Amino acid sequence: MTHVRLEQVSLAFGQGTDRMPALERVSLSLRRNEVVVVLGPSGCGKTTLLRLVAGLLPPDEGRVSVDDRPPRPGADAAMVFQSFRLIPWKSARENVAFALPHLPRAEARARADAYLDLVGLSRFAKSWPAQLSGGMRQRLALARALAAEPGILLMDEPFASLDAQSRELMQIELMRLMERRPATVLFVTHSVDEALIMADRILLMSPRPGRVVEELEVPFPRPRWEGDIRALPLYAELRRHLWDRLRDMVLNDPGSDFHGRR
Amino acid sequence: MTGPRPQNGPGRRPAGAGTVTLMRLAFLLCLILLWALAAATVPRGMIPSPAATVEAARRLLSEGRLQGALGQSLITYGTGLGAAILVGIPLGALMGMVRLFGRTVDVFVFALAATPRVAFIPLIIVLLGLGIEAKAMIVFLGAVMPIILNTYAGVQARDEELIEMARSTGASATRIQIHVVLPGALPFLVVGLRLGATIGLINTVVAELYTAVSGLGGLLALYGNTFRMAEYFVIVLALAAIGVIVTESLRLLEGRLSRWRLPGRP
Repeated sequence: MTHVRLEQVSLAFGQGTDRMPALERVSLSLRRNEVVVVLGPSGCGKTTLLRLVAGLLPPDEGRVSVDDRPPRPGADAAMVFQSFRLIPWKSARENVAFALPHLPRAEARARADAYLDLVGLSRFAKSWPAQLSGGMRQRLALARALAAEPGILLMDEPFASLDAQSRELMQIELMRLMERRPATVLFVTHSVDEALIMADRILLMSPRPGRVVEELEVPFPRPRWEGDIRALPLYAELRRHLWDRLRDMVLNDPGSDFHGRR
Repeated sequence: MTGPRPQNGPGRRPAGAGTVTLMRLAFLLCLILLWALAAATVPRGMIPSPAATVEAARRLLSEGRLQGALGQSLITYGTGLGAAILVGIPLGALMGMVRLFGRTVDVFVFALAATPRVAFIPLIIVLLGLGIEAKAMIVFLGAVMPIILNTYAGVQARDEELIEMARSTGASATRIQIHVVLPGALPFLVVGLRLGATIGLINTVVAELYTAVSGLGGLLALYGNTFRMAEYFVIVLALAAIGVIVTESLRLLEGRLSRWRLPGRP
């Protein structure tokens, strides 16, 4: 049932003496339709990990595979970015349709409308991104990713630029959408709470170079938007544990702004 | 979003279009009054009065001389500017898209753009003679540079984040150029067209003065040298009108093409 697999993947950026290792011998596997959250401080190569799975970047060493084949951009996975990355001169509908290059025009349009409806943006199909609020823009970006009907959803701190309230609503919205149309999700975040709410499994990564240092099953039952899992004693326990680990990493990371502060 | 045109921030409401038009008309009236005042105070008819200028314009129109010259000038201008657009946009876009090509030739284009193109006029006359070919070439050389350089800059200013997004959807390189890179370069391109149109008009007059004397430039020289200042003013105003019409049309086009920048819900 393994869907995505990384085996001993290493990757460095830059040339010569400036060469900076981004990921060092990272191995992980995602089961089909599992939600895995990658949690870690800045500089731990989380985004690089997503690019590798998207097939946008080849690893220096090791192997990345989706269903035992190298990943193909666009065919296996869709990405959602923190900065939305909507095309500003295209309407909401055109933005979604743009992500469907393999479909004929009329079909892409119909598919775009269906997914705009799914995220509640039907009324804004003809609006430009500049006319939408932050939360609506991220729902549009989500519709664009879902419209490709990908087996894998790669999310790079997708809700980090939203206000606290929109962020929580979007987390619930994403979980609802995943119930209706399951996909394997690799979700990157800085936020311990977001990780605990979204994840089936959390991978804790350390910075410079990025490595997976801990793996944690999150046992809360689904659906998680009924009742508040944050009230559970186990939630507080897991939260404290993850937060302690994160703080230690940041304080011991010479590249961090908080290095050595106690 | 990137682009040379700032948007209105929230809370800063632009003045009503009606007020602006009214103020502009009032300013124009002030200019004409100032002109009339200058004409009255400067001795020996060195500056013609507005009334004398209108009279001269009527005379030139009824003789058909203004229309004839205008037609000649517009053909020179249109041919040169049109060729500059047809060559400049693809060349600039190619320089931006094919990095090695761009890096190889850009220093030469910058060098050519920095050379006063008037210096080439004798060479152009030797090669192409004194006719429309030479004139259009002079206009072309002036107008093509800002069009190439601004298109190049616009394509280079591509949004790498949008391109990565496009790549993640499986878009081909061609699809990325057409949907992401080129539309992003459009604001730069329009600036290049406006600069090219202005320089092209200047070079139209220069060409008409330096090669076979003709068109509005020719009349300019004729009336200037014979101190027929009222007729001379008519030609100056006609040239100003062409410049204003062309650049304002391009501004209108720019506004239409960048409606997506405007905030406010539908």
